[in-house]
Amino acid sequence: MSVAVPTPSWLDEIPLHRLVDRGLETSVPLPPGDRPLVEPGTVVLPGDLLLEHVRDRRVAEVDVRTPDGDRPLAGSRWAPVPGRRRRAEHLADGELLAPMPGKSSRWRLVTGEHRAQITSSVAGIVIEVRPGAMIRLRIEGLALRGAFAAGASARGRLELATDPFGDLRPGGIDVGRTGSILVVGSRIDAEALTRARAMGVRGIVAASIAGKDLRDFQASERRQRAALHVPEPFGVLALDGAMKRTIATPVAALLERLAGREVALLVDPPALVFDGTGIDLPQVAPDWVRVRSGPNLGAEGRVLELVGLRRFAGGVHLEAARVELDGEAPFEMPLGDLERLG
Amino acid sequence: MRSGRSDRSVAASIGSVSSPTRVFATVDRGTASTAVALIGRMGGRHRLLGSTGGPVGVPDDALLERLRRRIDAADHELAAALGIDQPGVMADLPRLVCATAKAPVLAVIAATHRIVGPLAAVAETAGWQVRALVIDGSDILEVATALADRRVDAILAGASEPPGADERGLIGELGTLVAATTERRPDLVTVLAGGLASPGGRTETLFRPDRPGPTVLAPSPADDDGEPLRSLLDSLRGGHDDGRRALAAAAGSLARVLRRRVEVLEIGQSGGSRTLASWQPGTGSLVRTAAVARAALLPRPFTEADLDAVIGWLPISLDRLRTRDRLREMATAPWGDAAGDGATLRMAMVRAATGRLLDLTPSFEDLPAPDLVVASGGAWLAAPATATALAVADVARRPGARAVGVDHARVLAPIGAIEDDDDRARLLAELRDDLLVPLGTIVTAGGLRAARTVGSLTVHGEGGPVEVELVPGSVELVDVPPGERATIELRFRDPVDLGVRARHLALDVTGGLGGLIVDLRDVPLRLPDRLEPRRELLASWQALVWPGFDQ
Repeated sequence: MSVAVPTPSWLDEIPLHRLVDRGLETSVPLPPGDRPLVEPGTVVLPGDLLLEHVRDRRVAEVDVRTPDGDRPLAGSRWAPVPGRRRRAEHLADGELLAPMPGKSSRWRLVTGEHRAQITSSVAGIVIEVRPGAMIRLRIEGLALRGAFAAGASARGRLELATDPFGDLRPGGIDVGRTGSILVVGSRIDAEALTRARAMGVRGIVAASIAGKDLRDFQASERRQRAALHVPEPFGVLALDGAMKRTIATPVAALLERLAGREVALLVDPPALVFDGTGIDLPQVAPDWVRVRSGPNLGAEGRVLELVGLRRFAGGVHLEAARVELDGEAPFEMPLGDLERLG
Repeated sequence: MRSGRSDRSVAASIGSVSSPTRVFATVDRGTASTAVALIGRMGGRHRLLGSTGGPVGVPDDALLERLRRRIDAADHELAAALGIDQPGVMADLPRLVCATAKAPVLAVIAATHRIVGPLAAVAETAGWQVRALVIDGSDILEVATALADRRVDAILAGASEPPGADERGLIGELGTLVAATTERRPDLVTVLAGGLASPGGRTETLFRPDRPGPTVLAPSPADDDGEPLRSLLDSLRGGHDDGRRALAAAAGSLARVLRRRVEVLEIGQSGGSRTLASWQPGTGSLVRTAAVARAALLPRPFTEADLDAVIGWLPISLDRLRTRDRLREMATAPWGDAAGDGATLRMAMVRAATGRLLDLTPSFEDLPAPDLVVASGGAWLAAPATATALAVADVARRPGARAVGVDHARVLAPIGAIEDDDDRARLLAELRDDLLVPLGTIVTAGGLRAARTVGSLTVHGEGGPVEVELVPGSVELVDVPPGERATIELRFRDPVDLGVRARHLALDVTGGLGGLIVDLRDVPLRLPDRLEPRRELLASWQALVWPGFDQ
């Protein structure tokens, strides 16, 4: 795959999909009530605390009087002054939501008893903290971007469960996979996803996930999150889309090199984040192409030339390229169905 | 007009390009694709030299170089005369650039459903993705969380003027919640409308004066049919080169040039827009426009009803799960899967999106009907021109006759980026023969009675008269080539609605790739509820106009 030839300028006409990105930003939801444990500029490592999440948020009313008489800001933390006797409902601490209409010192407070500490799945630097809205991080490391993801961001050891062409059946997942992020090849169904979560797997990476399986998994995930017991974070990442195809060869080569290393699976944006130190990134020939959509989905090969407008099925005229896919004889196909990796 | 490779255009003036340069480029950057065109000065006027397009992300220069190569290969002398016969010259070419972006999110909040409805309806037509919230009966914590959501770009809060009895007790709550949100997110744009907007009023004083984000006082949605509020909200989104605003400006200039009422129906990946422009001596151009995020090919959120709407227009059999998966693929690679049944699927998406666009702009139906309908946006270019004409007839169902064209080179919006209306009109006047691909004329008759035949059509064209029997429920196609004019006579047994109620009508029509389409189907279109007969009916119409259509 490693070829050092000058890139013909016409290749610019084929959409380029970056193999890896640097400097990716991610944001962590910080709804009213949750307490940030970092501030802008904080450097975080995987496992460092990011925020305290209130699982049973409720609103209480409190009298807020500051020593200097200034009105506090919404989003500020508030706790009762120690040492004074209060009724139990006035002992809550939390985040100031908004003042009561017409009463400057009477505030609504978001509070709760059950609190969980949320850790970072990635290394990076905090670039913004907005109480009640989000924590934004710039990630350190490289990111393999996906098409979409679901569940929660998670971290684990990357393991290859199948070859890039394979499907993983539910029976193929056992407790030996606990703590891992599994690469499962071309596709996975909802049953295998829920079994993987139950076996302690932290995440699944697949080339594609059908919409129905994704919705079934998301419904199951919502039920899990609603339970009192806090489940371990579990995420699922579809690298390419919803229609079945294999993992692209350069991506599969990269995942093979990452096997056994700690990686993070991000949901927003959908990506697999890893420390690039010591990783030799696969080199992709400039004329390497993959079929991104339409017939021949997932096929790979070389683009030979651009041939201009051609008439295709359905009587539509599209910009076309002459390609050689999977060792077959060259043929012409719509340019828009192709992508390069680089 | 700008030169070079910078990413953003600047305010444009055709005067500055027409004198020193002989050729310039237009660039329409959508969210799914980019279209470029070259416009050159020949024989004392501007002409469209050519156009092409590609997926978003492909550099403008690569697309322009492709176009340059083709022009050079087709007519080297012309390319040399215009100075575009050498590779690399495109980088320094002056450009008119416009861009459309993903619709920003506007949280619309009011005390009650009665108030939030009209506010949200206006905001929906101003290019925002709307999340409606009410105080009455809601969990305050949920409302506060939704307002502070990181995906919210701006807040519109409103009350009736004066506040009604149902909202008076909740106005204070509304004001404090919105003001508290701006304390969490000080840069948030906040619009106070109607009863909340009295300058220096109680609500405005709740906001900290030193916060970086603006607090904008806006009119009520009840004022002038919501147009002042819509216009204000529209101005708060997008950059100065916003493609949808530019398209509306171009439509106004086009109406002025053609002296006709022009309706532009634009459908894109991130939204759609509808513009109705007319021109009258003395008053100039009158432009009514609406940008609708829900009119995107794949609106967010994409609901089951949206999926039903696409499936409802499919003339081919695709199961629901597979259709949903293909649509999801199109969300991530909107330029792909454009051939075969991918094109059919795309045209079903276009029809569904246009249906939403028309449903969300009902006030346009009260305006005089257009003489010319222009289909704009990359989505309309997915099918052969004749099939596009039928798609327009399927969804824009007004009795009467109208010419239909397609903005094939996507130059209208970049030209709309020229600031001066006179400059725009001058350029459009010079390009009037190149701007639009004429699809033909659609004649839609409403109020037909059920019968075997209801009358006859005689077309007096250059090839001699053609007689057609008119059958209710059918679509009749008569070949009237582009550039040709014909006079048609419609004779009905009973009075029908052709914009006016009449039994006998003679009209001058213009030809196009789709010729003359006489549409005798119901207004509005009624289709079978069951999918199979519905598909068969749609397929029978599609087969008439889509060469190569394979059911």
